[in-house]
Amino acid sequence: MFEKSLYDLIRGLRTHKGTEKEYIADSIKECRKEIRTNDMDLKSTALMKLTYLEMFGHDMSWASFNVLEVMSSPKYRHKRTAYLAAVQSFRRDTEVLMLAENQLKKDVTSPTPTVISLPLGAIPHVINPSMANSLLSDLLPRLTHSHPSIRKKTVGTLYRLALVYPETLRPAWPKIKERLQDVNEDPSVTAAIVNVVCELGWRRPQDFLPLAPRLFDLLVEGGNNWMAIKLIKLFATLTPLEPRLIKKLLPPLTKIIRETSAMSLLYECINGIIQGGILEAVEGTADGEEVAKLCVGKLRGMMVIEGDANLKYVALLAFDKIVRSHSHLVSQQQDVILECIDDPDISIRMRALDLVVGMVNSENLTAIVGRLMRQLRNAPVASSTDDSPNDRGRRTGITPYAESDDSDAEESLRPHEQKSNHPPPLPEDYRINVIRRILEMCSRDTYANITDFEWYIDVLVQLVRVSPATKSTSAVEYDEDTDYSGDVGRGIGRELQNVAVRVKSVRSEAVDAAQSLVLVDRRDQMFPSSGNGGQGVLEYAGWLVGEYATYLTSPEGVMTSIMHPLSLNLSSRTLAVYLQSVPKVFASMSGNDQVSWTPERKTLMTLLMARIIHFLEPLSTHPSLEVQERAVEYLELMRLAAEAASGTATGGSHGDFTDPPLLLTQAIPALFSGAELNPVAPGAQRKVPIPEDLDLDTPINPNLHSLLANAELEAFETDEDDVYAAYSEPITSYTSHEPAHSVSASERLDAPTKEPSSYQNAVEEEYLDPDIIARRKAERRERYKDDPFYIDPEGDRGSGAVTPLGRIVREGNVGNVEADIDAIPIMDLDLENRGGDDIMRARSPRSPRRAAVRRVEIIGDETLGPREVDNAREDIVQPRLDRAKGKKSLLEVDSSGLGSLSLDDAGDDNAGRRLTKLDIERKEQEEAEMKKALQEVERLRLEMQRASERLEARGETTVVRKKKKKVRKVEVEDDGGGEVVGVEGEKEGEAAPLKKKKKKKAKVPDGDEDAAAGKHDDGDVMAVAKKKKKKRRLVALDEGAPAEM
Amino acid sequence: MINAVLVFNNAGQPRLTKFYTQLDTSVQQRLISEIFTLVANRPNSACNFLPLPPLLASSSKSSTPTTPHNDTPSLVTYRHYATLYFIIISTSTESPLALLDLIQVFVQALDGLFENVCELDLIFNFETLHATLGELIVGGVVVETQLDKVVEGVKAQGRVAKRPVNEGKGGLSLAGFGRGDGVWAGR
Repeated sequence: MFEKSLYDLIRGLRTHKGTEKEYIADSIKECRKEIRTNDMDLKSTALMKLTYLEMFGHDMSWASFNVLEVMSSPKYRHKRTAYLAAVQSFRRDTEVLMLAENQLKKDVTSPTPTVISLPLGAIPHVINPSMANSLLSDLLPRLTHSHPSIRKKTVGTLYRLALVYPETLRPAWPKIKERLQDVNEDPSVTAAIVNVVCELGWRRPQDFLPLAPRLFDLLVEGGNNWMAIKLIKLFATLTPLEPRLIKKLLPPLTKIIRETSAMSLLYECINGIIQGGILEAVEGTADGEEVAKLCVGKLRGMMVIEGDANLKYVALLAFDKIVRSHSHLVSQQQDVILECIDDPDISIRMRALDLVVGMVNSENLTAIVGRLMRQLRNAPVASSTDDSPNDRGRRTGITPYAESDDSDAEESLRPHEQKSNHPPPLPEDYRINVIRRILEMCSRDTYANITDFEWYIDVLVQLVRVSPATKSTSAVEYDEDTDYSGDVGRGIGRELQNVAVRVKSVRSEAVDAAQSLVLVDRRDQMFPSSGNGGQGVLEYAGWLVGEYATYLTSPEGVMTSIMHPLSLNLSSRTLAVYLQSVPKVFASMSGNDQVSWTPERKTLMTLLMARIIHFLEPLSTHPSLEVQERAVEYLELMRLAAEAASGTATGGSHGDFTDPPLLLTQAIPALFSGAELNPVAPGAQRKVPIPEDLDLDTPINPNLHSLLANAELEAFETDEDDVYAAYSEPITSYTSHEPAHSVSASERLDAPTKEPSSYQNAVEEEYLDPDIIARRKAERRERYKDDPFYIDPEGDRGSGAVTPLGRIVREGNVGNVEADIDAIPIMDLDLENRGGDDIMRARSPRSPRRAAVRRVEIIGDETLGPREVDNAREDIVQPRLDRAKGKKSLLEVDSSGLGSLSLDDAGDDNAGRRLTKLDIERKEQEEAEMKKALQEVERLRLEMQRASERLEARGETTVVRKKKKKVRKVEVEDDGGGEVVGVEGEKEGEAAPLKKKKKKKAKVPDGDEDAAAGKHDDGDVMAVAKKKKKKRRLVALDEGAPAEM
Repeated sequence: MINAVLVFNNAGQPRLTKFYTQLDTSVQQRLISEIFTLVANRPNSACNFLPLPPLLASSSKSSTPTTPHNDTPSLVTYRHYATLYFIIISTSTESPLALLDLIQVFVQALDGLFENVCELDLIFNFETLHATLGELIVGGVVVETQLDKVVEGVKAQGRVAKRPVNEGKGGLSLAGFGRGDGVWAGR
């Protein structure tokens, strides 16, 4: 039979164009056969081929046992293949892992350096805690191997061991430290150790402070940039713990910044200065000024260097880290940073976006949002088909293509220039990100940065149009548990709702926007032309048109749109909101008791109700319970109302006033009026005190049963009219007048200068669609028209005093003649809510210039008692955080186990304690003493042993051997434990002389020397066991510590 | 630490996959494909850092704007040489610019081993490719950054096979690999 080599396999793949799948299947079949033979060469070749195919996603887990077989081959070539196969194919659930342990142990202790390297490289990939425990003793001696390449690899391997089995560090750390302190150590090994220390460092920086002098020397010596970078990163975690380091570090760092030719090192120096808090520490001093200037200057230099996008990217990263602490430094660089928002490179844009969110203030908000909006509007929408050619086998799995032999695989690894430099269309997740960021920037601190809310509403409407399509919008699967952040449309909707509720002065504009979003005939115009983007906004727009139905300019149109057949395709959540809006809008249309109940009116109303009933009827069997329930409720209500309407006689056609049915004018509106809705702080509900006299145990009426029985009887007797009579009690109409607010003169004076000056129309035109701009202009004109102080040059309309009325009439709100005070564009001075609580927050102007511009009242969250924003928020944020924590990222290697392990040599209860020099010295002394004591014990033992041998030469061999073994064991334990656990070492030291005495006594030559020796052994063993126990308790104590840190 | 090292060609075919955590084969393939999609769309002038691919982004980049956890992979660095993309996925404890240098060392080491390395060399000698990486990185920790020591380490493991004689032309120089070379090749 002809056997393929790896070379043949690859050649074969390249020649079998179009039939790779079959070829691969055949090859794997061959491999299965080959791997079962007894020929090691054949097995190993098969393994190599399988490993190659594994790279393309072809499973080889079935061959794991064969991997072990080849691993045990004495030939290095075979071993290498097998180890590679193991690294690439072993997974957590690979069962043969247990069997591999012995082979790994064997190879780690091999005399050949190249063989040792193999398990060293493989162990990190396959390790689990139990394996780590047993491999540790074999790995530790490799730290002092004569070959530096073995030493450095062992360091890396031990780090991964420590990640799964933190106890590794107890015996390993002293040895690693010893290597690090050794000035004569190979620089490569030192660099590898620094790498590992840097990884360990951020978990428990306090443990590494004692090393600072040595690390500092290494940094100053320089030579290896990679190591220097790691050292700087490590120092950045140490400086917060040891402020004295800062003074020492500053000169070498500034020296490096000024002198190094390596950009990476320069950048990390700046980064280290920023992250290590050095900037803060030296603030105010002349040095500090200089350093800050130097850093920011260099960063700026990185941003403006022509053609190096990488530097731009990392500079943005660095700015992002200082923006919260040194916003003034960053805002000086605003010009270059803002440029990056429009960078053709998405990576840079993302960074800039993150940064800009931290930089935003009321001065630059409009400009920044304008830039982002322009981007969204002008870039082509990336359709999902765009990247399909690149979407290499996402579903089908990958087969190596057959490439013709003249493929470009022979091209040298030179830069190639064939790709176009066109910016790619904005990917969807970027769009979503931008929209979220805009919303975040604008809504920060309850809209503290917004000066012009009409502008904001226009931005929101424009955002809907540029929203990318969402994936799950089919009505059925859009369930309650859908993550609401998944759809930006809903985020936009929430903002619109928030503004409408909180900012009364623009409520009518917000409702206007909501109305235009809801109207079906404007849907093409308001939403993205393709896809279903932004549909989530309808849920909130639907709520707004219902809740603030009085502001609607065309309630009929809204009603028609809500009940349009298209609405049935909406998600059940939106549909439920729509259903709630139907009676609200209906109430606003029918509820006016000033309109005479003429035959026309009656027909109109009856028709409207018939349409509503027609719309609701099919929905009463909707699969969504929420929709169903609401549909059934309102269906009944409408039927009742329809009956009442048809039963009420109409007045004559001669203009006599006839009362409309009370059900329409009083009862239904009363369902939806009442208290004004206000935003409530999260957690406020909890603070409502329980009334002291609240007694939930006593029945309110002891003879409920008889009462119910009576009620049933009475029900039959009740006259229908009485039901209606019940409604006739005077109820405040939902259109009740708002208490007319008194407006102070000074505020009136402010009114004419409301026009914001913070934006320029020219800029707006770049990111708002023409229709929105047209509307804006019209509105602006309108606003001036309504302004009682504005003198209209044309002067062709009524006096300013009636304008609010006039406006409403003009816009054809059916017979709603009640002046809506809120529509008057004069700022309210809400006297009612001014008492104590900070329910209403009149925004204090930040700069005097803007104070003259506009003062907008934003309703803050309502809460009880003192405001504990943080506490209240925690309730809500907490579960989400937990979830995020629980979910581990794909490639993440969890190192949290390390956090609980103290490397602190003191090893006593206060784990976080910093070591003073004195402590170290004392400990070293103790250690030396203990070593001496141990040597003494050993010497005495040997003496004793010899003595016993002399005395009873025959028949003693077994006992002696046993004893020897135990002696060694005790030593190992002491070596390992004593250094790590200092205090225990002390105890051990005390114990040693005790033992010594015992042994001296035992030296008395008599017959039961045997038994005496045995007893001592027992004692030793017990001591060891005891110590072990203590050590474990210590770890447990340490584990408690991080919770407080 | 470094979470993964990947090499694939312009068509997205893997030439080297090394994950420093155990990951299902299918997930590995999905990740490669996601990264390829990201990288293939980038113009040459773009920077060498990728946004996180969806597979990684979903779990790590949560709604909290705080700095990413130090254990989570948060950095995808790549370099493009002729037909090959070299990618390193790492946590935030690594320095982005230094990783670019590391890729450079990796490629230079390969070039030293194969004398004008090209994609074909790496296809036919993928064991050597792995061995070279093994000299640079052990278990996600960088253990060596000196070019000569890496080459020496691989050579100690045995003769590096040359590509079959009739298999193609030579002439692979790394002389000018992309812009910005001189800027941070300060090593």
